[in-house]
Amino acid sequence: MKIGFPRALFFFDYFPFWAGFFHCLGIEVVTSPATQRQIMEQGLKKVSDETCLPLKLLAGHIQALKDVDAIFLPRMVSVELDTYNCPKFLGIPESIVSAVPAGIPILTVVLNWRKGQRQVLKDLQIFGIQLEKSKLEIRKAFSEGQAWQKQYQDSMGAGWDFEESMRKIEDASKGLQHAPSVVESTPSIPVTVQTRERLRIALVGHSYLTQESYANRNLLGRLREKTEVELVQHVSQEDVDTNLLGLRKKLFWNHAKQIFGAGNKFVRDREIDGIIYLSCFGCGTDSLVQDMLARKAREQHKPYMVITLDEHSGEAGLVTRLEAFLDMLERRRTHESYVSTYGECLDRDSNTL
Amino acid sequence: MKVTFPHMGNAWIVIQTLFESLNVEVVVPPVNSKQTLNLGTRLSPESACLPLKLNLGNYIEAAEEGADTIVITGGIGPCRFGYYGEMERQILWDAGYEYDVVTLEPPDGSLLGLAKRIRYLAGTNNSWTKILKSLRFAYLKSVALDRVEDAIHWARPRLSQPIETEKLYEEAKKRLAQTMTVKGVQDTVRWVQESIHERLKEGYLRSDGVNKPLRIGIIGEIYTILDPYTSLGLEKELGRLGVEVDRSIYLSGWVGNHVFQGLVPGYRSIQSYPSHAKPFLPHFVGGHGQETVGAAVKFAREGFDGIIQIFPLSCMPEIVAASVLPKVQETYKVPIMTLIVDEHSGQAGMQTRLEAFVDLLERPRLQRAIGQTRGEVFGVGGR
Repeated sequence: MKIGFPRALFFFDYFPFWAGFFHCLGIEVVTSPATQRQIMEQGLKKVSDETCLPLKLLAGHIQALKDVDAIFLPRMVSVELDTYNCPKFLGIPESIVSAVPAGIPILTVVLNWRKGQRQVLKDLQIFGIQLEKSKLEIRKAFSEGQAWQKQYQDSMGAGWDFEESMRKIEDASKGLQHAPSVVESTPSIPVTVQTRERLRIALVGHSYLTQESYANRNLLGRLREKTEVELVQHVSQEDVDTNLLGLRKKLFWNHAKQIFGAGNKFVRDREIDGIIYLSCFGCGTDSLVQDMLARKAREQHKPYMVITLDEHSGEAGLVTRLEAFLDMLERRRTHESYVSTYGECLDRDSNTL
Repeated sequence: MKVTFPHMGNAWIVIQTLFESLNVEVVVPPVNSKQTLNLGTRLSPESACLPLKLNLGNYIEAAEEGADTIVITGGIGPCRFGYYGEMERQILWDAGYEYDVVTLEPPDGSLLGLAKRIRYLAGTNNSWTKILKSLRFAYLKSVALDRVEDAIHWARPRLSQPIETEKLYEEAKKRLAQTMTVKGVQDTVRWVQESIHERLKEGYLRSDGVNKPLRIGIIGEIYTILDPYTSLGLEKELGRLGVEVDRSIYLSGWVGNHVFQGLVPGYRSIQSYPSHAKPFLPHFVGGHGQETVGAAVKFAREGFDGIIQIFPLSCMPEIVAASVLPKVQETYKVPIMTLIVDEHSGQAGMQTRLEAFVDLLERPRLQRAIGQTRGEVFGVGGR
């Protein structure tokens, strides 16, 4: 059996788990190719225009999956106690059904960690009946998936490369005869010697935007050319948790928690010269979290820029804004250490400082 | 302590009653207006949803009348509304309005914490019996309000002289807001129903002999359904066009489900919707996304002529519902129109779309009356 896994949305954070899970069950997983123009355009035609860019891309990737026996679209309700994913994650697969080519069945399973591991296993075992696997096999596959996910998460440090680790996992899940020892925890790229001349930029945002190099016009690559880049994934879970303690009410979205926790750390970090928040048009969680982070950045006088993506994003506009932002940071470093003190509350009503 | 709260349609009548019967000083903000929205939009994150912007406007206008404490309900997601209280507090403090925000929800699931918050609001002079009694009375009032609204929905497409109907509605709201006895509440409801029956004698709205109005079900996000300013007077406009409307969510249904955790059903309970939605959206998606789909199915089965979904721009649960609704439309052959509102929505655009939709729904009926059929040329979804 060969199942298709679209390279979008949940792929960016949770693919290792599913790759390990299916690998252990002896099911081949095929991923769609990297996003390109055609994939995005296919996606735009098939989903409601109100929805956000990542979902439109998902629709495109679903159509790009050729020669598969089924398409896998899990309903990832929650990945951690007391949190949810975005409501749009909860609506998959029903909201995206129109994009699935006729004749290809959809495989779906509810993954809800809110109620703990027992419930997750139970749901997976019901899913196992569809796959004709025994409870024991599912249990084994579940631990295998967990192990892959953990290895993947542990490998994320400085110098970690998303594409590289994903390629390894994909190779491992395709080559069924090999044991998955391929996923090594040592980073493949040597940690670059950090020279103080280069700016340090923190790029925060959903992994499905920061790592989606077509949709974000290779923002990450462009930044890496000129600066040292820190990502949300580079921040350890303990750091994220400590930086969330100041909140009066706990955030209830998993992604938002990671982004705000990491962003809050970057805001306080003196080594970081500036923060770029990558969001997409219509993102509900970002609309609040971005504003909360902007408040923190203003308190600490940290340069902060928001980039909002949609399917009409042009390269020239992005490059201009990026260059201007980096120039400003350079100048701030050489000429003065603070923004002008004239007019105390100049930036009170601006979103971007 | 002067308590204020955000507007949502007629909810102010109920909330004002609740606090006044507990002898808590309460400031009802001026009703939603362009001014409210402008004030709120200036402080809000640009892509936040519309209710947040209106809420902030309400608080600023209430602050001018001396309010210093905000009461709002909460939730733990995944709809953004659950985080409104905290978000609004941060925004207001940064803007120089030092409000105390009390979110009525069990903090981290602790009921004791909720009790403490209620006690904080009610002060020390009120016993728990009195608090429960006041809650019960406020709830009764919300049911009465819904019954009045339902009667008005029935009356609008039937009675001649629409202005008189609106006057009746305003008068009923005024009476309900003022009365503090159960009898007064019941009398008002009866008075409205009787007045409508009396007016019927004066004549019907339509003179063309078609006295059975079209029926349209309104579904979608609760704030936009309940708040006539936000929906640009959707129900009134449809009534004027000779349409009888029904909606998926009434205030007391929401109160029963959200505030009393399903202990009381409310008028038109929303509890049956998830089971109706099952074939189309089997899992809840936050907010009222699943209820929207369920209500669409229910309206379609009850033979409504059309359905209108309304929600604020970028509302996450409703977007999921909107992408499922075409399936409902196809299955039940019922036309569904989606309206999205934000701070730039204009009256004229809304009116044009409503008129076009109503025309489209009326056409098959007229065709049938004349005895001509031209197949599916005129209809949406094969009507």
